Formats: sequence, C-alpha cells, structure tokens
Amino acid sequence: MKIKNTLLLLSLILVTGCATIMTGVRQKIIFNSYPGRAAVLIDEVEVGKTPFQIKLSRNRNYQVMIKLEGYKAYEVTLKRKFNAWYIGNIAFGGIIGLVIDPLTGAIYTLTPKEVNAELNGKTAFNRKKDNIYIDIALETDPGWKKVGQLEKGSAN
Amino acid sequence: MRITLSIVALFFMVSCSPKITSSFDTKHPALTAEDKVAFLDIPHKVPSGAKKTGTAKFGDTGFTTDCGFDSNLIKARKAARENGANIVKVVRKKKPDVWSSCYRLEIEFYFYDGDVSRLEQYQLQIK
Repeated sequence: MKIKNTLLLLSLILVTGCATIMTGVRQKIIFNSYPGRAAVLIDEVEVGKTPFQIKLSRNRNYQVMIKLEGYKAYEVTLKRKFNAWYIGNIAFGGIIGLVIDPLTGAIYTLTPKEVNAELNGKTAFNRKKDNIYIDIALETDPGWKKVGQLEKGSAN
Repeated sequence: MRITLSIVALFFMVSCSPKITSSFDTKHPALTAEDKVAFLDIPHKVPSGAKKTGTAKFGDTGFTTDCGFDSNLIKARKAARENGANIVKVVRKKKPDVWSSCYRLEIEFYFYDGDVSRLEQYQLQIK
C-alpha cells in the first residue's frame, strides 16, 4: 500500500509540475488597511473592501490601489517572482513539470502576499460650531487648486 | 541534467512578455490614472465621433507566458493612457490553440470626447 501511494505520488510529480502540486495555480492575497472599509481595486476593478482576501492567478502582475474618501490612495504592485518549488522539477526529474509549471503560472509566486495599507490623511477638515479644524498635509497633489496662503502673524 | 539546466536558463533569458507592436498617428496629452479607459470587445461598437489614434498587435514570441486576454488588454490600456486614447477596441482576436497558448490580438485606439464609462464594454475578470 505504501509503495502504491509512493508510486502514485511520484507519477503525479512526473506528469504535472512540482510547483503546481505544492503551491497551486492561484495564490491567496490578504488586504488590510487602517482605517478599515477602504475599497480594494485590482487593475482598476473594485473587488472588495478591507479587510479582504482573494485568490489570484500567479501568472501575471497586478496593480493594486486601496482607496478611502478623505485619504491619499495607497498603491502597490503585486509582482510575480520565481517560485522555488519549480526547482523541485529538476531535483525530482519531473521534466514535464518544467513545461507544466510555466503554463499554469505556478512557476511564479506573487509578492507581497499581504498588503497592509496605512492610509495617510489628506486635507480633511471638520467644522465644530464656529471653529474650523484643519489637518495639514505636507505632500501636495498636482490636482489641488490653491485657494489661500497662511501669513506669518505676530506672536501676541 | 546539463541539457535541462540549459533549457531552464534559456527560458529565463528569453522574454516572457507578448510581442507588442504599436503605432500612434495622433498623440493626445497623456491621461491620468483617474481617467477611465473603456475596453471594447469585438461585439462592442465604437461610438460615433470617436477619433482613431493608433493601432497595436499582440503576438507570441514562443516563450510568452503573460499573454491572456485580460493581461494583453491591461498592457494596451497602459499604452492608450500614455498616448491620450481612452478607448481600446479589439478588432481581431485569436484564441489560444495548438500553435500558441496566447491570445493574439489586433487593437485600435480611439479618443472619445465623452464619458467612456457609459459605453457598453468588456469588464476585466479579476481571479
């Protein structure tokens, strides 16, 4: 029985790819953000809100944007990198796997595996009764329009 | 073993991206990431008034792996944005077959002075 199972596993490795068997053709990617409930866009398609996870094909790069109203959008590229399990094809003699893994995309692993976006505040301001509280942002956006200038006052 | 390693080395040395040839006759100012670009598949019609700005062809180098329909469209969208086009229209599509595991596409780029998000279009499948 043991021999039968070993032979079965060996033949499976020989006819498919090592990386395809060990890691699968899709990879789970986790998205978190602070604050939460931010929209997750993959290649400009909204797929969910944080916290969120999705299984993606390993065979291409993905452009990710995490957006929340009042905050600067967080952008990252999920890049496909070499999956070390592919070397298993050479080690175990799975010649077919050398072809199968690139075709299924299992030759790659997507990085980062987890996206943790800390969203930086933009220029949100709150009005409370007669006062206006302004958050100051050090980075400017080319799309902003200048509407005023603070002037140096006397220290009275 | 030596032959196997040589094949693997060759695989990594050769580009895995599809063969892309593009040409633009009219260059509009580049679009921003906020500007929408519509994907029009074969059944979708180009709106009247849209101006053709260029063309592109997506082929297979023989070692291409990232050449699915969506992957090619995303690459076409990047080219469209850089050249100020907001419509990517697929005019010819060859599905993967015995000869190639890639989608081979012929694309036309258009600039439409209207809201492209309202056009009937192809939606990318994220999976």
